Amino acid sequence: MTLDVWDVASLRLQRWLSLLATYPLYAFIRVVFRWRFGYRFSNAREFQEKIWKELDAHDGPLFWAANHLTLIDSFLVFAAVVPWRKLHRTRLIPWSTPEYRNYYHLGSWPKKISVRALMYLCRCIPFLREGEDEASERWRKNVFAKCEWLLKRGESVFMYPEASRARSGWLERHRPKDFLGRLALEVPDAKFLCVYVRGESQLYTTAMPRRGETFRSYGRLIPAVLPGETAPRAVAQRLFDELAELQEEWFAASPLPKNCGGNDVLDLKSPALAEHFDAASGEMDPEWAARHLTGREMKSLEAVAPGFARFAEACKFIAAKEAAHKALAQSGIQTPSGAFRMLEADLFRKRIVHLPTGARFDIRFTHEDEDKIHCVAVLRGGFIGDDETPGDVLWEVAEVPAGQDAHDFARGKCLEFIAKSSDEIPSPALLAFADEGGIPKVLLRGKVQDWGVSLSHSGRYAAWSFMIS
Amino acid sequence: MAFKRKEATIEATDLNAITPEDAEKRIIAGVRKYATNEANWSQADANTPFLGHIIGMGIESSNLADITMSIERQFLTKKTKRVPLSEGSSEFKLEDGELGKLRILEGQDATAATPGLSIKMLVDLGHMPKNEAYLSKVVSFAYVTSVGEGYRTNDALKKLVARIEKLAGPEKDEAKANLKALCDQAKAYEALIGDAAAFTASRQKISQNDKAAYDSLRQELSVIEDKIKGVSATNDAERLASLRAEEAEVRTRLRMSAQKLAVSSAVAREAAERTPVIQAKIEEIRAIVRQSLQEAERALA
Repeated sequence: MTLDVWDVASLRLQRWLSLLATYPLYAFIRVVFRWRFGYRFSNAREFQEKIWKELDAHDGPLFWAANHLTLIDSFLVFAAVVPWRKLHRTRLIPWSTPEYRNYYHLGSWPKKISVRALMYLCRCIPFLREGEDEASERWRKNVFAKCEWLLKRGESVFMYPEASRARSGWLERHRPKDFLGRLALEVPDAKFLCVYVRGESQLYTTAMPRRGETFRSYGRLIPAVLPGETAPRAVAQRLFDELAELQEEWFAASPLPKNCGGNDVLDLKSPALAEHFDAASGEMDPEWAARHLTGREMKSLEAVAPGFARFAEACKFIAAKEAAHKALAQSGIQTPSGAFRMLEADLFRKRIVHLPTGARFDIRFTHEDEDKIHCVAVLRGGFIGDDETPGDVLWEVAEVPAGQDAHDFARGKCLEFIAKSSDEIPSPALLAFADEGGIPKVLLRGKVQDWGVSLSHSGRYAAWSFMIS
Repeated sequence: MAFKRKEATIEATDLNAITPEDAEKRIIAGVRKYATNEANWSQADANTPFLGHIIGMGIESSNLADITMSIERQFLTKKTKRVPLSEGSSEFKLEDGELGKLRILEGQDATAATPGLSIKMLVDLGHMPKNEAYLSKVVSFAYVTSVGEGYRTNDALKKLVARIEKLAGPEKDEAKANLKALCDQAKAYEALIGDAAAFTASRQKISQNDKAAYDSLRQELSVIEDKIKGVSATNDAERLASLRAEEAEVRTRLRMSAQKLAVSSAVAREAAERTPVIQAKIEEIRAIVRQSLQEAERALA
């Protein structure tokens, strides 16, 4: 799609007006961040020194590509990267493509006009993410054409490679989106400015970072397209890998645990569990179900034929929620025991949402038979795996030998499993379990390991899992 | 639904007609079939946790709701009249009405971690008359969880000491590094629980985090409300409906976030109150941990 003369003229006008507003707007953002919200950037000087050494050497078009956790990330990333003394590098001030429906109809008329004016001066080109009709398609193509036009003139464009906020609080390198790769192939001499900015207490996606938050930033400048790269997926994958590396660097210097995973096994023949299921009628105790399942989950359960299938499906919900609960606790989010309805599972999409925070998990059922159900859940730290790609979670399920304490059995077996899964740990004797606020942690050579270890037992079975990312 | 519970019929008792001690006994008896640690269950008292295998009854977390349901089945209450929280709302509170089945609403049992705390919950909800003498013997939720943490740390310490004694050579040296780390952790625990102010501050921090999460969700709601206000002026009915659904979802999340905040706020409040019973429990676990630390120090020497 080519731009018409009006599109070009409007972009030129917007650029010119935004140039006039650059310094006052920057001052406004800084003042609001510092004095209204108490935000600080902890490694700003060293980060900016490093990144500007690379940026000063680059005279071509630039893609800003950053992780996405809050609604004001564009401002945060800009404030993290650009110091006062670099504001004159106007071609590096990025154009953005915020979702039209999210930002252009906010509140009353005065608010709407102020927001639109701010967005205009901040070089925003509204984008329409939803809609399959011709007008929406045309809108999207027009925005891409505008971005391409700007980039080919050496300007910069800001985009979130993940397209939307990461609901798990984790940028997942195994789920790249191709749109940025497609655009990059149109401007092969461009570079990606990969930036990972995150507040020290940002556990998951929120509308805004909390007041008084301290941000730490990491970034690198990499070529948008490497020689021989012709597929958008290859470009997108490289970009995601780069951002994922920056994410690793961020977590390496953070007290927040990176690997947050959980597992749960349910013995379907356990009398305490089976009492909620009437084998003769094939019905489940509605009172019990109502205490464990949300309305949406109940609806999906009703679609399953009464009988063992429905009981097993209900147990899948319970196992998934228990696994997610353990992963959640590892991330630092406390959920009251037994608060099953605070978690909502979508077994079809293999996802769970923690309703109070909106944090989203991936789940995977590793064992489903007449005797047991085993589920693993991952909030962050690695990939849960699928049919094509092995995940970063390792697990085992075993029967507890008669007379043995299930708890001790699971712990002992878990240490054996970790040791045999690693070339660097010759014996489980080098490992030990510790407990941090009810969360099992493994010690190696006197250091607590960030492995997202999880233990579970139910009736005849015990299970254990850990993350290798 | 055709489901009928397979257990024997239980004769429910009016909560106002029995003593807290009797109710406690019935609660303990009611969870027998879920308890996997029979020894702890048979000696259970007001302060024995339902969960946990070291000092608890060993009830599995998948049976947590069964504890509440067991309590509901055993007792009758006068708080049976459903009063909507607001006009047209499906949420309700229970007020005085005819004597009928006890009902514990979602989130109300979040801190009922022991039989004693279950009684406290029933008292707080107005199902039972307040009995100060009984409640003074109940360890608060804040300390039930923290004392439990102490027992788990102690258990880990003792097991590692036992393992180290069986090792030799470089394996023993490496395992000693783990033991040293565990000792440091146990010392930190012992110091924290012994220092009322530091302990309270640590619980307040958790509560502040929950408050921040709640506030953040309120912000999310206000953004959606702004979007609704903006879209209302247009004729985009589809978008408006989608935003309304989003608003309802965030309101549900906000309600749950408030429940979670209520628990952590209660813990932060309770952390500052140390009754003689709580103090005794604290001293007991501190002494146990200190003794295990001495054994560990010997193993490290």
